[in-house]
Amino acid sequence: MNGSSAQSGHAAAISINELEFAYGKRPVLNGINLEIPRGVSFGILGANGAGKTTLVRLLIGRLEPTSGTALIFGRPPGPALADSVGYMPQLNALYESLSVRENLDFFARMLGMSDSKPRAAAVARAMELVGLADRAKSVITELSGGMRQRVSLGVALVHEPELLLLDEPTVGLDPELRSMFWRHFKEMTEAGTTILISSHTMDDAAHCDSLGFMRGGKFIATGTPGDLRKSTGEPDSTLEDAFLHLSRSSGVGT
Amino acid sequence: MPFDRKRAIAVRIVREIRRDRRSVALIIGAPIIVMSLIGFSFQDQKPVLNQAAPALIATMAMFFVFVLTGISFLRERSQGTLERLLSTAVTRSDLLVGYLAGFLLFALVQSVIILMFTLFVVDVDYAGKLWDIVLILLIVTITSVSMGIFISTFAKNEFQVVQFIPLLIAPQIFLSGVILPTSQLPGYFQGLSGALPLTYANRALRDIMLRGASLADVSTEIGVLLLFAAGMLAAAATTVRRP
Repeated sequence: MNGSSAQSGHAAAISINELEFAYGKRPVLNGINLEIPRGVSFGILGANGAGKTTLVRLLIGRLEPTSGTALIFGRPPGPALADSVGYMPQLNALYESLSVRENLDFFARMLGMSDSKPRAAAVARAMELVGLADRAKSVITELSGGMRQRVSLGVALVHEPELLLLDEPTVGLDPELRSMFWRHFKEMTEAGTTILISSHTMDDAAHCDSLGFMRGGKFIATGTPGDLRKSTGEPDSTLEDAFLHLSRSSGVGT
Repeated sequence: MPFDRKRAIAVRIVREIRRDRRSVALIIGAPIIVMSLIGFSFQDQKPVLNQAAPALIATMAMFFVFVLTGISFLRERSQGTLERLLSTAVTRSDLLVGYLAGFLLFALVQSVIILMFTLFVVDVDYAGKLWDIVLILLIVTITSVSMGIFISTFAKNEFQVVQFIPLLIAPQIFLSGVILPTSQLPGYFQGLSGALPLTYANRALRDIMLRGASLADVSTEIGVLLLFAAGMLAAAATTVRRP
């Protein structure tokens, strides 16, 4: 609910300090430091296994850090923040035998929208936003992969959260859909929403306000796409060049 | 509204099962087939049939609900919806109560169908009140739903849920008096049989159906069954949030 909860004054949307996490004895995150102000889109770029999903799961409170802290709007992650955080997991995570509207309506209720009128309006708005208003009654199994992904995004933003955590939201999307997703993301950040997005494609990276290159469970570089491109020292280098250059010089394994 | 989430989960479960037509047909058809098979093969031995029927009703209620809950909760884990649910303000009790309510409704319909078929088509003799029988079956269902949620933590896929059947359900069928009266079991098995919920369900149902016992007469069995239900519910509550 945008603006309604005014979480802890003006704390940053996300503030992570010396965060470490290990699955048993296997370290996954090795000292993450990150500060994301409100109203920007931040992209976590990294190869598979770099720790992107683990970081997102720590931010929704599904995992507990081994050490260090992660704060969202100045508060520790968890159910108390559910109102202000929207989460889109890597799997589509939808009920396949239910329709688009039923899925959205169900998760809206889980997010605490118990009054049916405003909920119906929120569900309708979410469907409109992801361009599925005409498929409201379609059961998930009847939808294409890209449509399912749009429903999944719709679920994440049905309650108009102040922060969106999107775990690889554009994987498998065709270029047209990808640019549609990014149009929405731009509109949302302009309206004050903060978006954290994990991805391994440089095409997504170019759209973000700022970026963090992740490797071996830590950020090897952060900055705007422009800054990172310059880091190679060559005038016309791409983000991909920058990522490879920084990876090589970081000395950190995957 | 404090019950909104619980109700939404229950409604969703009923909706999901109802849309799966083949499963619905199997859930209703399979017990009827089993009942017919047993009923008509023991047509000439009414006492054997009368003795077996109450136990079979309880066994089927437990078995089908266990498999259904186990698999649907497992699916909730593997398709990622549980992860998504847990990022909302959903609590353990929302999940447990929602699941229980959804499956209870379903189990109630199933139990009533099995019961009616057994009593009026297979023509098993019975005394006692119909609602008392349904009540016992409801408690069995609570145990069974909780057991399904609990077991789903230890299974990685549907195959593994099914592997728990010979481990959890088959011993109960052998040791709870469905086939042999528990008094005819060897001593060490009698001890084990006393630790199985189905033993008490069978005893209570037999007393009600064969001897026309009232709920007060079988209050010990009901008490033990409730304890099993509470224990299983607590076990399910501790593992429900696990990834």
